[in-house]
Amino acid sequence: MMARMTTRDGAGTAFDAWRLIGDLEVTLDVDVLVGAYPDRDGPRGDPGEVLATLARHRIREGAAASLRAALFDVRSGNDEALALGALRTEGSAFAPVGAVDLRDPVGAARELERLAAAGSRAVRLFPDEQGVEAGFPSVRHVARRATSLGLTVLTGGDVRRFWRPFAGIGARVVFLDTHFYHLGDFLVAAADEPGFHTSTRLLNSPDALETAAAEVGADRLLYGSRAPHCEPLVPLLRLATGGLGPDEVAAVAGGNARRLLS
Amino acid sequence: MIIDVHAHWGPWFFTMDVAEASLATMDRYGIDRAVVSATEAVIYDAPAGNRALAQVLERQERLLGYVTVNPRRLREAARDLDTYLPTGRFVGVKIHTDYTGSPVTSPQLREALALVAEAGCPALVHTWGASVLDLAQVCLDTPGLRVIAGHMGADGFRYAIEAAAACDRLYLEPCWSHAPAGRIAEVVAAVDGSRLLFGTDATLIDPSSAFGAVAAAGLSAEAAERVAWRNAARLFGI
Repeated sequence: MMARMTTRDGAGTAFDAWRLIGDLEVTLDVDVLVGAYPDRDGPRGDPGEVLATLARHRIREGAAASLRAALFDVRSGNDEALALGALRTEGSAFAPVGAVDLRDPVGAARELERLAAAGSRAVRLFPDEQGVEAGFPSVRHVARRATSLGLTVLTGGDVRRFWRPFAGIGARVVFLDTHFYHLGDFLVAAADEPGFHTSTRLLNSPDALETAAAEVGADRLLYGSRAPHCEPLVPLLRLATGGLGPDEVAAVAGGNARRLLS
Repeated sequence: MIIDVHAHWGPWFFTMDVAEASLATMDRYGIDRAVVSATEAVIYDAPAGNRALAQVLERQERLLGYVTVNPRRLREAARDLDTYLPTGRFVGVKIHTDYTGSPVTSPQLREALALVAEAGCPALVHTWGASVLDLAQVCLDTPGLRVIAGHMGADGFRYAIEAAAACDRLYLEPCWSHAPAGRIAEVVAAVDGSRLLFGTDATLIDPSSAFGAVAAAGLSAEAAERVAWRNAARLFGI
């Protein structure tokens, strides 16, 4: 066993993350969750703890959706999410995001109406967690209804498949699971779709952010951490140490998300 | 000081242009030395890739090499081991189980690792999920073999903990493009600290992934030093 005394994010060691991150702050993180996954170990996702995680990583606001809504009960889960807006700690806060259940497209359409009426600007989809494939009628239905209500859609799922139900309808979408293996597919789809955006969480090859910025513009990139279930330091480091200019970094760190979600 | 024990030199087939990015990528994270395999050798043609890498290593002092072995081409592998290990610029063997269609449980992988054991150097073997347990068994069955479980099983990191407990000649390195919260801390808390290494998978994966995940584990200064370079220096004799 190793010595138990720990450091904060590697401070003072060879793995000193904040020495590399410097002054970078995230003004709006597009991918935050409250609640737990019952099928895996991991954080319980208590809102207070999630907020503390954001604050610890200098993430000033997190677009947070509820796993209760995603996995069990949309209505009470979304009410839980919408109430997050009242919480704040150490300079960090939540921007609540509702979710719908793609396993119930009829109920999903009703919930989209309710969210839009409550002033929501975005809705989050959880196709992987709900066992829903991109070709299911439900996805196309929800994509169209959300777009017609002016909602930005934050969606999980493989971008090589989930681009299709959003194509050709003027949708504003943020693909939350774009892996750098699939960057080329995102880029060719985004070239035809001005509303297509991607989270940077898995764009962690040495040149993915820079390639995306050169091909479709840094305004299509949004910092997403998936806190507290993934380590926020990783996309922070990637953004801080990469080749984007200061204005582009600021846009990715929250400016672009603000434009889509506010 | 950081030694990256899982790195690559050469181009990739994805939408990326990193063939010349090895040193710049290392510099961004303070990585002093990297043990690299040639992407051509890993993905397609082991002898051709090893040959190309040998030329690169002649002019890049910060890079050390893995001789990549295709378990389906053991005669070529033996020839490459004889050619490159004595140069001192190659310090281990790389075997990718997927690209060579040679799962850890395959007979050819066992034979390849027996060859490595005879050569006396460590082998970096790609592991994913429960395959890291199979690697521990092969290591136990192969006297003298020292293996690094590449990716430490990725999502199978709890299997990696079991594997490390089962075989004291098995080492773990953490690189993965995903960073689930707490993965590194859990492994560090459960595994003999002398068998934890640092690897990034650069230039396929940016070092931010492994670096950030390790940083988040908040290692003590002593533990961080062992992971960063001390264990690697001892394992490779560098």
